[in-house]
Amino acid sequence: MDQTEIFEQVVKILNPYVKNQDALKGISLATHILDDLKVNSARLVDVVLEFEDAFDIEIDDDDVDKVETVGNAVELIEAKIG
Amino acid sequence: MALRPIAPLPAGARQKLVLQREISRLLSPLAVPLMGIALRCALGYRIENLRGFRREYRRICLERDGPLIICANHLTMIDSCVIAWALGSPWWYFRHFRTLPWNLPERSIFAATHYRRMAIYALKCLPVERGGNRAEITEVLSRLAHAVSNHEVALIFPEAGRSRTGRVDLNSAASGVGRIYRCVPNCRVVCVYLRGDHQDGYSGMPVRGERFRGSVSVIEPKTNYRGLRASRDIARKIAQRLVEMEQEYFDDRK
Repeated sequence: MDQTEIFEQVVKILNPYVKNQDALKGISLATHILDDLKVNSARLVDVVLEFEDAFDIEIDDDDVDKVETVGNAVELIEAKIG
Repeated sequence: MALRPIAPLPAGARQKLVLQREISRLLSPLAVPLMGIALRCALGYRIENLRGFRREYRRICLERDGPLIICANHLTMIDSCVIAWALGSPWWYFRHFRTLPWNLPERSIFAATHYRRMAIYALKCLPVERGGNRAEITEVLSRLAHAVSNHEVALIFPEAGRSRTGRVDLNSAASGVGRIYRCVPNCRVVCVYLRGDHQDGYSGMPVRGERFRGSVSVIEPKTNYRGLRASRDIARKIAQRLVEMEQEYFDDRK
C-alpha cells in the first residue's frame, strides 16, 4: 500500500469526525487534524482506533500524541505497516 | 495486562510536583476548611449521608495502602470541590494529606487570573487545556500518573468535560484515565456519583442551597486489549460503572 492509498483511506476515516467540512476540500498532508479540520480531541482516539481496524495495525497511547497532522497519521500508519 | 509508563517525568518536573505538594500541605489547614465553609455556609450546600460518604472513603483508603484514582460524573464547574468535601473532613485531610485528590481543572477557566492560579495551586490542581497541545496534555498526565504511583490520590472525570446531556455519556469517555490506570500497578478506581436534586443538566454552579445525593464504589477494571484500545476499554468500563450508579441514583429517587 503506497502513501497515496493510505492518505485516501485516512481522509475517508476522518470524514465523519470533521466539523469544518470546508477544510476537507483542500486537505493535504500538512492539514492539522484538530485545528484545521476541527475534529474533537476526545474523538481523535476513535479516529486512531479506526486506523487500527482499517490497516490491521496496533497503535500505542504514545503514538497518538504524535498524530497532529494528516501527514503524521499517514507516516505512523506507513511505519506500522512496515 | 501490560503496564506502560506514560512518559518518564524529568527530575525538574518531579521537584515541582513535590514543591507544590508541600506548599499545598502547609496551606491545607486553612484552605480545606475554607473550602468546606464556602460550600456549606456561603452556598448552603448539603450532602445526604455525608458521614456515610466519608466513612466509605476512609475505609477504602485504609483498606489497602495503594494508588487510587477517583472517577466521577461531571455536571458543574465545582464538582471537584464538592467531591473532596463529600469524601473527607478537614481533619481527615490534615491527617492523611495524600487522600486530598489532585485535580486537572480547565486552564482557561481556573487559571485565568493570578488569584485563581494561586488558589488552585494550593488545592493540588494541575491545570490543563482540554483539546490543547497534545505534548502538553501528556506532560500533565505524566505528572498526575507520577503522583498516583506515589500513592497520592487523583480525581479524574472520565468524560473529560461536563456532560452536555446531563447524564454520564459512555461515548465521551476519553482514554486519559485508562492510560494513567494502566501505567500504575495495583491501582484501584473509586467511582463517585454525586448529583444535586435540582441538577437537570450541566451548569456552571449548582443552585444555592442544593442538596447532593450519590454513592461511592471501588472497581479494578481489567482489559484483554493492548495499546490505545486497552486505555479506551478501561475508560469505558469506569464510565459504565458510573452509568450504573446513575441508574441507581434515579431508581432511588422514584
